[in-house]
This record gives sequence, C-alpha cells and structure tokens, in this order.
Amino acid sequence: MTVSLTLENIDAHYGATQVLEDLSLHVAEGELVSLLGASGCGKTTTLRLVAGFLRATRGSIRLGAQDLTRLPAHKRNIGLVFQNYALFPHLSVRDNVAFGLKQRGVGGAARRRQADEMLARVGLDHLAERMPGALSGGQKQRVALARALVIDPPLLMFDEPLSNLDAKLRVDMRVEIRRLQRVGGRTALYVTHDQEEAFSISDRVAIMHAGRILQLDAPERLYSRPANRFVADFVGFENVLAMRAVVEAGDAVRARMNGGATLDLPKADYTLPARDFLFAARADGLTVARQGHGIPAKLGLRTYLGRAYQYRCETAAGEIVANGPLSDPLEPGTQAVLIPQADQCCLLPLE
Amino acid sequence: MTARRLGWLLAAPATLAVVLLLGVPVGDTFSTTFGGDGVFAQYQAFFGSRFRRAVLIRTTQIALITTILSLLIGFVTAWVVSRAPGRWKSVLIIAAVFPLLTGVVVRSFAWLVILGREGIVNETLLAVGLTSEPLTLLYTKGAVIVAMVYLFVPLMILTITGVLEGIDEDYFDAAASLGATPFARFWQIVFPLAVPGLIVGAVLVFTGSFTSYATPQLLGGESQMMMGTFLYQRAMVTFDWVGASTIAAIMTVVTVAIVWAMSRAARRLNPAAT
Amino acid sequence: MRRVHPVLIGFAVLVFAFLVGPLVIIIGASFSDTNFLTFPPRGLTTRWYENIFAVSAFTRTMGTSFTLALLGTVLSLAAGIPAAYALNRYRVELPAFLSTVFVLPILVPEIVLGFSLMKTVTTGMGVPIFASLVIGHALLVLPYCVRVVSASLASFDFSIEEAAVSLGAPRWRAFVSVVLPNIRAGVIAAFILAFITSINDVSISLFLTGPGVSTLPIQLLAHMEQFFDPTIASVSVLLMGVTVAVMAVVEWTLGLTFLTK
Repeated sequence: MTVSLTLENIDAHYGATQVLEDLSLHVAEGELVSLLGASGCGKTTTLRLVAGFLRATRGSIRLGAQDLTRLPAHKRNIGLVFQNYALFPHLSVRDNVAFGLKQRGVGGAARRRQADEMLARVGLDHLAERMPGALSGGQKQRVALARALVIDPPLLMFDEPLSNLDAKLRVDMRVEIRRLQRVGGRTALYVTHDQEEAFSISDRVAIMHAGRILQLDAPERLYSRPANRFVADFVGFENVLAMRAVVEAGDAVRARMNGGATLDLPKADYTLPARDFLFAARADGLTVARQGHGIPAKLGLRTYLGRAYQYRCETAAGEIVANGPLSDPLEPGTQAVLIPQADQCCLLPLE
Repeated sequence: MTARRLGWLLAAPATLAVVLLLGVPVGDTFSTTFGGDGVFAQYQAFFGSRFRRAVLIRTTQIALITTILSLLIGFVTAWVVSRAPGRWKSVLIIAAVFPLLTGVVVRSFAWLVILGREGIVNETLLAVGLTSEPLTLLYTKGAVIVAMVYLFVPLMILTITGVLEGIDEDYFDAAASLGATPFARFWQIVFPLAVPGLIVGAVLVFTGSFTSYATPQLLGGESQMMMGTFLYQRAMVTFDWVGASTIAAIMTVVTVAIVWAMSRAARRLNPAAT
Repeated sequence: MRRVHPVLIGFAVLVFAFLVGPLVIIIGASFSDTNFLTFPPRGLTTRWYENIFAVSAFTRTMGTSFTLALLGTVLSLAAGIPAAYALNRYRVELPAFLSTVFVLPILVPEIVLGFSLMKTVTTGMGVPIFASLVIGHALLVLPYCVRVVSASLASFDFSIEEAAVSLGAPRWRAFVSVVLPNIRAGVIAAFILAFITSINDVSISLFLTGPGVSTLPIQLLAHMEQFFDPTIASVSVLLMGVTVAVMAVVEWTLGLTFLTK
C-alpha cells in the first residue's frame, strides 16, 4: 500500500526570510525522488515541511488522497530517517524500533516481535538489547532505518542519512536503502548534497537552488540534457558559450559565438531554444584535433587524465577546456580545432 | 620534570589547602564526637533526646518539602524558559539568576517584611476583610518553607533549564514523526532524559535547605529550630562544643550520603548521561 | 515545535512575579518615612540610605566584606587556576578522585566548615580572626574557581600551547601568553561568582567573626535583632545594587546565558 506525494505551489518562510518559492513536486507511487543541492538550497526545508515540522505559508501538500497541509506532525504517518540518526539514548535498540508501534497502541508482545523481525531484516537482531551509545555509525543508521520502516509508512523520507558515515559504508548503505525501498515498493523522498549518491539510487532527481527546483528529471537526462545553466554547471559541463543563430545551412543551423567562430549544429541533434542561446559542452564533448570543422583554438597547458589528455585552450570566445585522445598528445602553442560531439553537448536558454 | 610531577605540583596548593584547612579541622570535629562514655556516647545522647530528634526530623521534613515544591515549580518554569524565543529567554534567565546573586540575608529578610504582623499579607487580609486580627505567620514551619522555596527555586530553574536545553531537538522531531502526541513526547522522551538533571537539582536543594542557617534563624526562631540554628546555639550560646560537633557530624554525614546516593542513582537511571 | 500551553506560561509568569516581588518590596520599604518596615512605603525619604553611612558598624563591615571577598577570591584563583589546568592537561596522569577533593568545600556543609575552622584554626591554633575569615572564604569559593575555569579549559585546544613551546616559549611563558588569554572568560566568570558568593556569605562568617571584625551580612543580621528599621532595607538595596553592577559587567563581557551551566 503506497501512495503518491504532491506538493503544489509551496511558499515557506523562516520569520521574514523566504526559503521556498512556488515549489511544486510530484512523486509517483513507489518512486524514489532525490532533492539534490548545496547547503541552503531548501532541500531539507522541503523535507521538514512534508514531515510537518514547518508550516507552509502558501500551497498544499497531499499524500495520496490525504491533505497534509494543516495536519500536525505526529498524525502524518511518515517514516523519517535523520542525518544524526536521532536514536533515543535512553531506550534500547529494540525499544527504539518499537517506539512508533507503541504510539500506535500495539501491545507489548506484538511490538517486541515486530521490532525484532525488522531488526533481523536489517541484520541487527543480535543487537536488540544494546543501547544506542554502544553502536557504530553504520549500525545506528540501520536501527534508524528499521525504526522508520516498522511502522509501515506509505512514505519514507531521508535527510542526508549517509553524510556522517565513511565513504565505503556510504556506498553499501545507499544500495541497502534502495533495495529496502524497492522491496517494499514505498514512495520515498531523499535529501542529499552528494550528486553520485542521488544519481545512483533515484528514479528521478530534483536539483534545487535558492528555494526552487531547477530541474526534475531522471538522472540520465539531467546528466546529458540539463535544462539550464545552473544545472549544466552542477552536473559537470565545463564549458558554456554564448551563441547566436545566424543562418540555416542545409539540415543544420549555423551559429556564431563571441570572437567570430561559427559552428554548424545539425537539426537532428540540436533544437534551438531561441535565436540567442548558450552552447554547453563537456570537456569530453569537444575533441581536440589537428584539423576539422570546429572551434579554432590555441592549446595551452596539457594535463594527463589517465583516459585522455585535457587541454586548456585559448579561443576568440574565451578559455575552453577540451579533451584529446591519448594517441595524439599535442604540445602547448599548437593551433588546433575543437570538434563538438553531439552526445556530450547541449543547448541552453539564455538567462 | 615529568608530566605527572608537574601535574601534582600545580594541583598542590589547592590540594594542600583543602586537606590541611578543611580535612584536618573537619576531621577534628568528627573525632571530638567519639569518646566520653563509650565511642558512640554522643550519638546515643543525640538520638536519645526527644528534642534533638525532633530538630533532625523537622529539618528533614522542611528540606524534603522545599525540595519537592522547588522541583515542581522549577520544572514547569524551566520548561517555559527553555522554549522561549531568544530575547525573552535571556530576560527570563536574568530574572532567575538575579535573586540567586542577592544573598541569603536579603532574600530571607524580605519575607519578614511580607509575613510580619504589620506585613503585606496581613495588611491585605485585614483590608479585604478576611481577618479581623493580624495572623501570626512568622516563626512557623510554613514561613520557613516559603522562604526556603523562594531561596532555592532560582537554582532549580537554572539547573533544569540547562538540562532541557541539552536535549537534542531531533529527538522531539523523531518522536513526532513516529506518531507521538505532544504529551507522549514529554513523558516518554523529555522526562526520562531530564531525570538525571532533576536529581542533581533536587540534591542541591535538599542539602542546601538541610544545612541552612540564616533562613531558619530569621523566620523560624526558637520554636522552629533546625540543625543549622541548633549547631550555632550549641556552639556560641551554650558553648557545648562537643554537642555542637555531634550536630555538625550528623549534618555532614547526611549531606555526603545523599550526594553519594544521587550519583549512583543518576548513573543507573540513564546510561546515556555523561 | 516550540509552542507552550498558555496555562504553563501563566504559571511561569506567576513564578517570576513571586521571584521578583519581594525584592521590589524591599526596595519600596527602604524609602519609607517610618521608623518601622512597611510596604507600600508611607512617605518617601532617603534618610535610611544616609543612615547606612552614619552607622560605623556598617561602613566598617562593608570595607571588611569587600576586602575579604577580594583577598579570598584572589587566593582561591591563585590556587584554583593551576589546579584546573592540571586536572585538564594531566587528566591521565592524575588520579580521578582529585577533582572530588576540590569540590569538598561544597560537599561539607558551610556551617560545619565555619565551626570547624573556628575550633581548630582560630581557637586551637590562635590564628587571628581576619586571617581565619580569609581562609574560610578562600576555601568556600575554591570549588567555583576550579570548576568554572576547568569548564573553560575543557574546550581549550592544548595543541596551541604546544605550538608556542615549539616556537621557543618556555612553559610558563606559553601558559601566560597563550593559555590564559584564551580562558579569560572562565577566569572572569569564576572571579565574579566567587566574589559575589563571598560578599553574601553567612554560614562561614558566622563563626569566624568576632570583636571588631565582622562582615556585612552578619552585621545586618545583628542589626535586625536590635533595630527592625528600614536601614536593613536600604543596606539590602545597596547589596542588590552591587549585584546589578556586577551582572552588568558580566553581560557586557560574556553574556549571561553562560550561567546555565
């Protein structure tokens, strides 16, 4: 039994400061959506809003058919996993996990049984009697997970659950979380600042900045087809060039960049958002070659990446970062051409 | 010089001061109480005397009542203070601290003015017509208790506020997300985590009121003699230094025993307490 | 989730009124133009304040209390700061019970300590009264000096002391120029707490005062037994004024929420 989560036109304020602006989000049943962004972008605020720790100043929140907007936090039946685990220090592991059941009036023996079962599912049944203070970070995280899952909530929410764990554990735990979410078919909202984490486990990712969602898409689309400059920059496009469409040239559009160089952009690969636009290219998306159709450049510093060479290039449009094959290392000072690879480039609207 | 030696050297002045100027005199007081007609003669005389037993019982009673009242009043007030918004909180803490710093004489004396035959309480009662004659409120157990509670509530407020502030806000949020009503959050999360601090506060208030002098002297007088005033009387009025030492020894034993019991209890009640 | 039930807020308001009320009453009574203590004051006068300075016992004991507080606090800090430093820096090398030793003056009832000092030190060893008072007060405030300074040192990063030594400073110079300035807040707080405690003390001074040497609170108690007049109120207000001045200094340098420790 799982439901969808819908946020509509949410505004939120801390005192006089606006922290969320006209935020809308729909998480389908059984979907795991991540909110990704730097500190202060509003992702945790959004989560706390859905949990009920913050009231929206405008807009609505719906979980399935239920309107959560005005409902107090303790009636929302959402499973929460906290960044610092928030395990009750005075209760044993078992009692921590059973806490939610106790609030729902489940009797002592049934509570114990269900808590122990859930602990077994996360591999911690041998620690049921322990106190939280005696657990490692990874163990605490799994107890927190068990505690949230045992109440069988229609929605799970994670607030940067792995940021306090070491790197190897993080990878293992995120796979575990995804597995448990999938198995239960539970709708989940996941907050993180770690791009790799978000991309690896999510059905869709919302990239947030300054209280707004800039793009909500599957990770693959975010990675190759960012919708705006901020997202392109966020997912690692090293180069962004302003261009203007000049003329049609067969089945391509010829566009000019600052400094006069032009590129022919095949209509099959690129759709222009407007006459003036931004051309975004990854370093891998601009191949350094001795000749061909592309952007003329004078090569500067060359660095070795292992899989390719990376060149800092001077062009009339400014400095560009481009990669070249290992088979043909070129010396600084060489005049070269940067040839765009369509699958690693994209067009963005001018902002 | 090794670290160990340097450490001892630095701690030496304070340690010597305590050992020589506290340990020796207090030890001497204790030793004075043994001897006479058998090792525990003084204590037998103390507990054999109805008057002296009554003083001890009265002192314990008053200290207990003071502690319980201070706990209740202090906890509720500390709860409000700990949840007050920033600027208010500072004001409230100042208001709680200020009485603590004005000294026991001033604070006890205030109640003489309030509870005296010509004091505010009587004036108000007469003016309103509830009584036709001034009531004798002073030199009663109640007067001592009121003044003691007045004395110790600020201490309790500060102690408990500190404890409540130390409880991570995440616990409230986690409990709420798991379905705990506001009352359940208080009773199942806040209160258990606050108990060790409550015990500390209770012990401070109990021992403070048990060994108090100025307040019972001013507000209790001869009829409400407590261990503190009794000690003074024995020492400086009747010059019975052995008897006074006995009283002193009993007071010390009670105090130390309670503090010791407290640290055991606090440690056991909440394993998360540091 | 910071909402509080209005009933609880009302209760807290009453409690604070209860705490502040009697002090307001004393202030009011100190201005009363009557020969006895009454509130509200009847007629307003400052003669009871002038009377403080007319009574030599008060001016004398004020001086004694002040000097005593100063001496006692300074001595206590002189012993307490090194002790606190040792407890924090050499925690591993020193026995655990040592910190309990410095807390003993609080553990042992004040009145027992005062009585014992009088018996053994003043009477038994013939130490002069003022010196006995200094000893008693220094002992009284020692736990505050050690504890508060210790709290400051607990959050002190000792590696900066080591850095100073590695740069050529001898240990004592490293302490003075690197450690002390950084625990300034703790030392000031300890000084203020100790000073106020000493000024207001009754139970230790009780046994240690004698002919010609007395402290202000003791003198106040004595005065109360003889003359129950508004001078007591005005002296109390004076003492309150000293406290306010001290608290203003604390707020100005440190911020008062420091005290919820």
